[in-house]
Amino acid sequence: MIEYISGLLVIIGSFFCLVASVGLIRLPDVLTRMHAATKAGSLGAGLLVTAHALLYPQLGISLRAVTIVALLLFTAPVAAHLIGRTAYRSGEALSDRTWIDELKGQNNALDDHPPSD
Amino acid sequence: MMTGETFLSVAVQAAMGMLLVGMVMVLFRLAKGPGAADRVIAMDLLSVLVVAFLVVLSIHTRKTSYMDVAIAYACIAFLGTIALVRFIHRASVQKQLRQKQKTPARPLPDHSGEKNHD
Amino acid sequence: MPLFILNIFLAAVLMVLTGSGSISVFFLGFALGYVILWVTSPLYPQTRYFKKLPKVLSLVLYFLKELLVSNLRVLWEVITPRHISRPGIIGVPLSARTDLEIFMVANLLSLTPGTLSVDLSEDRKILFVHVMFLEDAQAAKAGIKNGLEKRVLEVMQP
Repeated sequence: MIEYISGLLVIIGSFFCLVASVGLIRLPDVLTRMHAATKAGSLGAGLLVTAHALLYPQLGISLRAVTIVALLLFTAPVAAHLIGRTAYRSGEALSDRTWIDELKGQNNALDDHPPSD
Repeated sequence: MMTGETFLSVAVQAAMGMLLVGMVMVLFRLAKGPGAADRVIAMDLLSVLVVAFLVVLSIHTRKTSYMDVAIAYACIAFLGTIALVRFIHRASVQKQLRQKQKTPARPLPDHSGEKNHD
Repeated sequence: MPLFILNIFLAAVLMVLTGSGSISVFFLGFALGYVILWVTSPLYPQTRYFKKLPKVLSLVLYFLKELLVSNLRVLWEVITPRHISRPGIIGVPLSARTDLEIFMVANLLSLTPGTLSVDLSEDRKILFVHVMFLEDAQAAKAGIKNGLEKRVLEVMQP
């Protein structure tokens, strides 16, 4: 029984990973691509790890699974925020379907001083 | 009616196929991507896909030590993404400074007069 | 939060007693320990543990629901041949003040597909969010404020 559940989770998770890659190809601009890439990818990997944890319920291996999910969930938004902010501030073109941009003219100039490190 | 074991192995093989197709698409975006940010996103997604593939491989080969590899890979990939983003940020800051000051690009340091120390 | 540590300790006790090291036994022990602590709650007069844990759980459940629903919307956008999304960047006025609160709100927003926190204004009062399916800017702002931010603040603030 547990094999059916985790097999299903494996298929759904890898399907989400595939959707993330297709989204990376198909979506029009950087920010929308990031919607598909960082989150659908994390969700897919999370489902795969869950399937693995169902198959191997020993505590040591489950803790490894929890560690992987935690790492993915902590690092994905930080990386997404950094990439999005840098891309926006360095003037990457938004797609022409973007119909409202309240950030425009706020402070989208880069820092006056280049980072010293 | 399939037994659980067969269903799981079929599912794992299908998953490996889907992940490989996904990696090929990501590599396409990595090669083509119009801007540097697109390439960084592609690298990020590629590392997530590699972690996912390692987990599937761990189910396939029944060796749980692949999970340790996945943990280490997830850590290092995050650091790589951050470093690349810093690099882009710095490059675009310098570009904006040049546009603001209307000065030409900083000339490469001239080493022709220096002695070769080797 | 000493009661939380006590609860984890009770779960570990159950794992030692049953002699099985699986994660499901841990969760069972955690639930049983919570019930035990709740029954003996007159012993701990000034604890917020029993009010806080349901709020954390409701935040987690709300987050998982949002994650699934909006992932399905992104999936539909990706696999259908025509693009239906109308992306936009909106500025959401924040009620969160401390660093940790802003961090939690921005990160949880980034984790739900469809919203992505792009930038924070200089005075840290407005969070600029890129929304993928934006129909009505005011409604989207109100949705973020009353949905995610309210729940996060309920957990973070005493």
